Amino acid sequence: MAGYTREAARRIFAQEFRESNLTFKDGNDQYSPQYLFTPTGAKVNRMFIVGTLIEKEDIGSESEYWRGKVSDPTGSFFIYAGQYQPEAAQVLSECDTPEFVAIVGKPSTYTTPEGEILTSIRPESMYIVDGETRDLWVLDTARVTLERLKVLPTSHPDALRAKEHYRTEAKHYASMVLKALRSLQEDIDVMDD
Amino acid sequence: MNTMVIDIKTKFQELGVDIPVEKIEERLEKLIVKFKVPQEEAKRSVVNFFLKEHGIPKEKFYGGLGEVSFLKVTDISEDGKWLNLKAKVVQLWDNAHGSISQVGLLADETGTIRFVSWVAAELPAVEEGKTYVFKNAVSSEWNDRMEIILNKSSSIEETPDDIPIQGKGQGTSSLVKVADISQDGQWIDVKGKIVQLWENTSESISQIGLIGDETANIKFIKWARAEIPVDVVEGRNYIFRNAVTSEWNGKLEITLNKTSSIEEISDEIDVIARDAVLTAAMVDIQSGSGLIKRCPQCNRSLTKGACAEHGKVDGVYDLRLKAVLDTGTIAQDILLKREVTEEISGITLEGAIAMAADALDQGVVLEAMKQNLLGKYYTVSGPRVDRYILVESIKKESVLDSELLAELIHEAEVF
Repeated sequence: MAGYTREAARRIFAQEFRESNLTFKDGNDQYSPQYLFTPTGAKVNRMFIVGTLIEKEDIGSESEYWRGKVSDPTGSFFIYAGQYQPEAAQVLSECDTPEFVAIVGKPSTYTTPEGEILTSIRPESMYIVDGETRDLWVLDTARVTLERLKVLPTSHPDALRAKEHYRTEAKHYASMVLKALRSLQEDIDVMDD
Repeated sequence: MNTMVIDIKTKFQELGVDIPVEKIEERLEKLIVKFKVPQEEAKRSVVNFFLKEHGIPKEKFYGGLGEVSFLKVTDISEDGKWLNLKAKVVQLWDNAHGSISQVGLLADETGTIRFVSWVAAELPAVEEGKTYVFKNAVSSEWNDRMEIILNKSSSIEETPDDIPIQGKGQGTSSLVKVADISQDGQWIDVKGKIVQLWENTSESISQIGLIGDETANIKFIKWARAEIPVDVVEGRNYIFRNAVTSEWNGKLEITLNKTSSIEEISDEIDVIARDAVLTAAMVDIQSGSGLIKRCPQCNRSLTKGACAEHGKVDGVYDLRLKAVLDTGTIAQDILLKREVTEEISGITLEGAIAMAADALDQGVVLEAMKQNLLGKYYTVSGPRVDRYILVESIKKESVLDSELLAELIHEAEVF
């Protein structure tokens, strides 16, 4: 394909994101994109999440540096926004919790002194959205996660890589998806009552 | 929820802080009911909120209480952690060690794990095929794998609940829309109509042509060596199963091989005419959007009041959006002219001009549109021109497709 193609924003649940610990570069030069590779075989350079901002805190010492916690039905994402993420930092400083938010951002990893790899998101943009959008995101993310799980038993390179690095159990992530979907179903049932 | 409220209240009381029940209830209910946060996470969040409000360090609250949580087998990943586990004994092994009472394999719906029960723990023996609740077990790493150890402070209790245990996942390719085909080497199922059959130019090819659905058309090749007994007919509808996507000359196509199959179906598929239809999240609105000025002579948009062709001119106001819709596999550029921009943003051209005049800044219009539109899902349709879809209609998605939800639940259950 000719020219520049924008990286698609992958959809991943918080639990899978937390359980990811493999990063690599596609290519050798300094401009090569960096990817986080997840247990179901998603190659993530950019991601899109919608969830509930449940906590926020300015943890910066001299300048503002915001940490936010965004919850989905399977767990929570941590987001960090400082002076290089001005849009998101502004939203974080002005909004209340809880609030539904949509975030487009880059995955980032941090290795603790104990060698544990923690994942977080550096937001490129962050917007306040509605509950319907949050539900649509859960459904969307469930759908694509199941699609990745279906590819997992094949010899697709991403599937092989996932199995080699994570020894991914499809069942584990299928039950994560199920948990997310059931939470949507409960909401519908509540409305029907 | 009531037990959670009381739980939180009691724990804070132990720390010498009295928080009114209503305050806990209000915050907890807001998180769980209105903002759909999972219960455990909501509880943590409420606790953290009140800890912060009263300046109590987190360690003081969580430390020393010795609360051991229930884990699933695959969540056991840390050495030396105290945990509770509900699992079925799937295998008991012969044990060679005098110090071991029982050794074997436990399973729950997420996976399997080895367990060891020491003689010194003096615990009752477990039986194969029965389900137990193991409390205060300790995780430990042995030969690079996790296992759980039952010791003197552990307990084992049989439970009549039968838990589904983890089986092997079954592999199928997924049914995709043609427009979502975006990667080389993927196994897919496609449901579509044969739009065209082309003349066959090679002996190795059995049939070649175009298959389409309501989202797009794509070239397909049925290889002769695939030996598929079905010959497709133009204008009829089929499901291609286990087809593989491949890239050729920079374009994606699908190929049918030995493991693929073709099935004629009675559903009538509406093939996309010239319009592309796409449902995706709007992830970016690019500069040059919002309130802009155009050259009165050539209609080009002006940059800093100047036209690339005609220089400094008295521009004419217009509204437009250059945005990116993202399906998770492709990022699609879309272009919205004034009418559709007005419709979806709720800001008219006159309104936009007034906003800009008020703020002495054209940028406020773009900012307002971003706040309003980004991060949400839309369905757009319109012709494809170059890398854009020229949007003729746009609708914000707000209703959850309950049929898709039921279908996905079913899919997730059979793994």
